[in-house]
Amino acid sequence: MASAEQLSGPEALSEDEREAVETLLFRLADDEFVLAERYTEWQVRAPTLESDLALANIAQDELGHARLWYDLLQDFGPDEPDLIWERPPEEWHHSTLTELPFEEGDWADPILRSYLYDVAEELRLEALADSSYARIRDRVGKIRGEEDYHREHAENWLERLCDDEEGRRRVQQVLDRLFPYALTLFAPTDEDVEDRIDELGLRTETLADMREEWLDTVVPYLEGLGLDVDADADLPDEIGRDASHTDDWDDLWDEFTNTYRELGRSEATRIMKDPDEAE
Amino acid sequence: MSSELPYDPEIPDLREEDPADLDADEIPGTGGVSGSGDAAVPGLSDDCSDPALCAYTEYVEGEEVEDMPATGEGAEGIEADVWDALYGVEDPEMPVSIVDLGLIYGVEVSERVDEGHHAEVLMTLTYSGCPARDMLTDEVERAVAGVEGIESVDLRLVWSPEWSIEMVTEQGKADLNDFGLSV
Repeated sequence: MASAEQLSGPEALSEDEREAVETLLFRLADDEFVLAERYTEWQVRAPTLESDLALANIAQDELGHARLWYDLLQDFGPDEPDLIWERPPEEWHHSTLTELPFEEGDWADPILRSYLYDVAEELRLEALADSSYARIRDRVGKIRGEEDYHREHAENWLERLCDDEEGRRRVQQVLDRLFPYALTLFAPTDEDVEDRIDELGLRTETLADMREEWLDTVVPYLEGLGLDVDADADLPDEIGRDASHTDDWDDLWDEFTNTYRELGRSEATRIMKDPDEAE
Repeated sequence: MSSELPYDPEIPDLREEDPADLDADEIPGTGGVSGSGDAAVPGLSDDCSDPALCAYTEYVEGEEVEDMPATGEGAEGIEADVWDALYGVEDPEMPVSIVDLGLIYGVEVSERVDEGHHAEVLMTLTYSGCPARDMLTDEVERAVAGVEGIESVDLRLVWSPEWSIEMVTEQGKADLNDFGLSV
C-alpha cells in the first residue's frame, strides 16, 4: 500500500476523513472497553491469587488503552458520558468475541479469549504504528509496550491447560465456541469506510491481510497444543462491528451503566470536590 | 473540567507533530533559555563513546528521546518558577517528584497581551491505566496556576516518546532507592 499523506489534526479533517478516523477509533476503543468489562468478572474468582492479579491487571491495561482511544474521540466533541455511559447499546462496534459471557466457571475461556484477542491486537497495533493520523500513531508505542505480557500470560496458561486430556477437552470446547466470534475481529464496520481507512493510511494493513496473518499464527499454535481448529468456520450471526450484537451484550451494557443511570447522572461526576473550589 | 484542556489556537499543537520531526528548539522547555539552541540541552551531546551512558536509546525506539525528559535546567525567570512548582509535585504512590520521575516533557511560558503569562506543560504518565490520572493532572495544573504571574495553564498529556525507567533522573533514582526501589 502506498504510504499516504499525513492527515491534519482533529479540527481540520474533511467529513470523510473524520468518519474514517472515528470508525477506526470506535473499533479500537469499544473492543478494549468491553473485553475489560468481561475480564473483571474473574476478579477474586481466578484459580490462583497470582492469576487473579494477572487478569485484573490485564483488565486495567485494556481500560487504560480504551481511555487513550476514547480521548481521541473526545477531540471531535463528545464527552465521556456520550461515548460510554449514555451511548445506546445498538451503537457499539466491538467484536462480539469481547462481549460473550463466560461459561460458568471455565477458566479456559478467559485464557483462550485473551490469546485469540491479543494476537489480533498485536497485528492491529503494528498496522497503526505508521498511521497517517499523528494522534493515533503517538499512542501506539505506549500501548504496545503494555501488551507484551498479555499474550505471554495466555500462552503460558494454555500450554498448562492442554497438558492433560481433561484440560485439553475443555479448551477444545471453548475453542469451538469462541473461534467463529474471534473471526469478527477482522469483520468490516462498513466496507466503504474500511477501504477509506486503508486509502488514507490510517492503518497500513487491510483487515483481510491481518486476518490471514492472524490465522497463520493462531492455527498452527493451537494445533501444536493438540487442538482442532476449524479455520474455515463461518462468521456468527452477530458480528458486533456492524452493531449487530448478542442478547448478552444488552445485559452487560445494562449492568455497567446501571450505577450511572440509577444515580440519575448526566455527567461523569467526581467523587471528591476540588479543594480549591470548595467553600 | 477536563484534564486535557482544549486547544489554544495561539500555540502550535505539538501533539500533531511526530517528536522525531521536531527540532530541540521546538520542544518547549528542552532548549533551556529561549533561542540558545541546543547548547543547554542535557543529553543532546553526541559524545556517547561509553555505551552504558547511551543505554536508553536502545530502550525506547528512535533518537528523539535523547533530550527527554525535560528537567528545566537552564530555565530562567517565571519559567524557572514553574519548574520549581513542578518539582514540588510528587507521584501519588512514591515520594519522588514528577520531574525527577521523568514525567514532564516540556514547559513553555508565553506572555499574552492583557492576559499575563500562560504556561503550557507537556506531560506523560508511566502507565496508560493509571487510576490517578485526573488527580495528578489536577494537582499539576493547580501547582502551576499557583505560580506568581501565571494567569493560565494548559496541561497536555502526551504518550510519545513512551515513558520508561530510563527517563528517571539521577535524583529520582536516588529518591526511589531511599524509598526502597532499586532502579
